[in-house]
Amino acid sequence: MIIPHPLLGPRDAAEFVYLGDAALIDRPDWQAEDALTAFHDYGYLRDNPAGPHKELWYHEQGDRSWLVVTRDTTTHEITAVELARDVARSRGRSA
Amino acid sequence: MPDFTLTSAPPLAGHDKTFGDLRLTSPADLALVSLALPLGGEDAAQKAIKSAYGAALPAPGKSVCTKDGARLVRLGPDAGMVIFTHATPDAERVVADRLNGAAYTTDQTDVWTGLELTGPPARAALERICPLDLHDSAFAVDDAARTAMEHLGVLIIRTGQDSFLLLSASSSAGSFLHAVETSIENTI
Repeated sequence: MIIPHPLLGPRDAAEFVYLGDAALIDRPDWQAEDALTAFHDYGYLRDNPAGPHKELWYHEQGDRSWLVVTRDTTTHEITAVELARDVARSRGRSA
Repeated sequence: MPDFTLTSAPPLAGHDKTFGDLRLTSPADLALVSLALPLGGEDAAQKAIKSAYGAALPAPGKSVCTKDGARLVRLGPDAGMVIFTHATPDAERVVADRLNGAAYTTDQTDVWTGLELTGPPARAALERICPLDLHDSAFAVDDAARTAMEHLGVLIIRTGQDSFLLLSASSSAGSFLHAVETSIENTI
């Protein structure tokens, strides 16, 4: 599988490490009233879609960037790749 | 107590082997210093690099040669590397002084080992171990990339039409040399 890195171009998937669902970017607020439930969901509950899936990949054997990759789990077709920090910044997080 | 003096020696120092039209050498006195652009201080760091070296830090995946023979490599949005020839073990201080502390600098000289592959069949010799497309259209002269060859992390830089500089971890220098030489022998 080839992942088209937004800065570095097409790279072999062997250079990357897979983390999982991109929802892991949205860590719950630990001080919220419902923090216990929120962290249970955050830690244990995942969707398992047959189709497009947003997931986190780490370019370990490359520029060490985190990516949010939109991949179809049934065909491995990749439709979008963004830098995870751009995704976090677009939600008003990170500097 | 007797006085000992320790002399540092790069793991592949002096390696020089010829395979037909190909030559595999270990560059002498290679010094490497990594650059990290501070969060919020990216522009100041870029400006300091440009005034110190007379060349701007290029786009990620590119490198540029400066007038004094150093090579500036951009590895990612906030990361770069200065590669130059320097015999004494104070490379980090030299770069930090030139940049006046505008970027974070870390000495990488002893951590990496270098191999230079030159000759017309250089690209063919790498095609079995390098997962990147090294054709002119995809990897032009002065392009640089971090990748993995034989499971070893490698920074590959195209230093000329038929020459590549390969940098890998010095702790696995012997395995890296073996991987490259095996690939050369398998392709010639």
